[in-house]
Amino acid sequence: MTGIEAITLHNGWAMAVVGATIVISGLAILALIISQLHNIIDLLEKKKKVPGVEVSTEILKESNSVDKGITNIEFTLELYQPLFEELDEQFQLADLYELAKRDNLPHPHISIRCMCESGNLCFLGNGTFSFLK
Amino acid sequence: MDLLDLFSQFSKNTGFFLVDYRNIIMLLVGILFVYLSIAKKYEPLLLLPIGFGVIVGNIPFFKGFGIGIYEANSVLHYLYFGVTSGVYPSIVFLGLGAMTDFSFLLSNPKLMLLGAAAQMGIFFTLLSAMALGFAPNEASSIAMIGGADGPTSIFLTAKLAPELIGPIAIAAYSYMALIPIIQPPIMKLLTTKKERVIHMADLREVSQKERLIFPVVGVILCCFLAPASIALLGPFFFGNLMKESAVVERLAQTARTAVIDTATIFLGFTVGASTQGDVFLNPKSIGIFILGAVAFSIATGSGIIFAKIMNLFLKQKINPLLGAAGVSAVPGSAREVHMMGLKSDPNNYLLMHAMACNSSGVIGSAICAGILWSFNMK
Repeated sequence: MTGIEAITLHNGWAMAVVGATIVISGLAILALIISQLHNIIDLLEKKKKVPGVEVSTEILKESNSVDKGITNIEFTLELYQPLFEELDEQFQLADLYELAKRDNLPHPHISIRCMCESGNLCFLGNGTFSFLK
Repeated sequence: MDLLDLFSQFSKNTGFFLVDYRNIIMLLVGILFVYLSIAKKYEPLLLLPIGFGVIVGNIPFFKGFGIGIYEANSVLHYLYFGVTSGVYPSIVFLGLGAMTDFSFLLSNPKLMLLGAAAQMGIFFTLLSAMALGFAPNEASSIAMIGGADGPTSIFLTAKLAPELIGPIAIAAYSYMALIPIIQPPIMKLLTTKKERVIHMADLREVSQKERLIFPVVGVILCCFLAPASIALLGPFFFGNLMKESAVVERLAQTARTAVIDTATIFLGFTVGASTQGDVFLNPKSIGIFILGAVAFSIATGSGIIFAKIMNLFLKQKINPLLGAAGVSAVPGSAREVHMMGLKSDPNNYLLMHAMACNSSGVIGSAICAGILWSFNMK
């Protein structure tokens, strides 16, 4: 037997339609899963990180003080006051920086720049500065 | 007199005496395959072993002495067991998995749909083969040629219609070798110049975790869907997991080199040798070759048309040429798509995207084999 009759007799139409549907839906599901795979991995990694991260109180204090220092020039001046008392009236920024590092003051570069910009550190020429209250 | 008798008896056992026109035709086909593989470099990894196998298989011999591939206890028969049992295709899939990089597919999963669409050639050919009078088991085996996947075609034929392995394998591999001739005209016919120059977006970087999870998820989902494809997809995804895990690099390296090469040699050679003229040259084989060409063309066309349909709904258009790479002829069809893209626009690099479709096609055709095997289980 040949032709459409043969196809119908052997259930060919159903085989083709069901087969094609299965393979397309199967690969579509697989495509959907792998398209979300990186999102699922990211989500799992974030969840993993959240309970695992313990921020010490010291770091918190430090970061708070940094934020405060960066946004608040008065707080920076208060922090650096003891250092200015140690230095001569005219000093080089490198000396101030060394003292700040010695005392573990946070972000000395930013703090010194802020004090320059606010006019509390006055440039005298020849690479020397003085502190203006 | 005794001397002459002995010589006469010996001469009757030689190939020169036993040869018939079918052997000569097949010997010429074998020589043609060897020529194409060496001189034209058409898929030499496949055509050379097959071509030489055809030559060996068609040397006339005295039947009944355990010489030929279809005679029990012959050496060739034992080697052929790897084909008829489906062992070689499974081993080839292991190596393929260890070679395949799914990053491109993982970074653009919608390309997987093109691999599914290209399998429509299989189901169209199933109907055509039935209409030509082939039984459902034979029609299913012939239809697999549309997947453009030699090992899968052989695997399914070994399970459903072992007597057709020779013509189906030769048809499948021949058409895979003829990709540079078959696919470009279809691609040109079904796409416009404007479509061919569409550039694909850059692929995102895929993490190792994604690449590790994919083979596990893939094997579970695909084999739950079509358990009959376990013999192919199991080794395939296992090979890929070995590659991606990076903890068994030695095994992965062996799988993608020595193991797959050994299986390919024996698969090609014994499939070639199975084309004995008296068994191979019959009207069914001619029908299979015609249907194979139809299957391959429909598979290529359906992938392209599906890509064009997808473009109706997508904001970021995909190059429809990629649909042609949905057939699982790795990497031949991806290479053709890339070349066609470059011809249309020298800056249009489609290779990585086409490889994504290709690897999806491998999975799709293995699922189809499982589905068709299930349909024919009684």
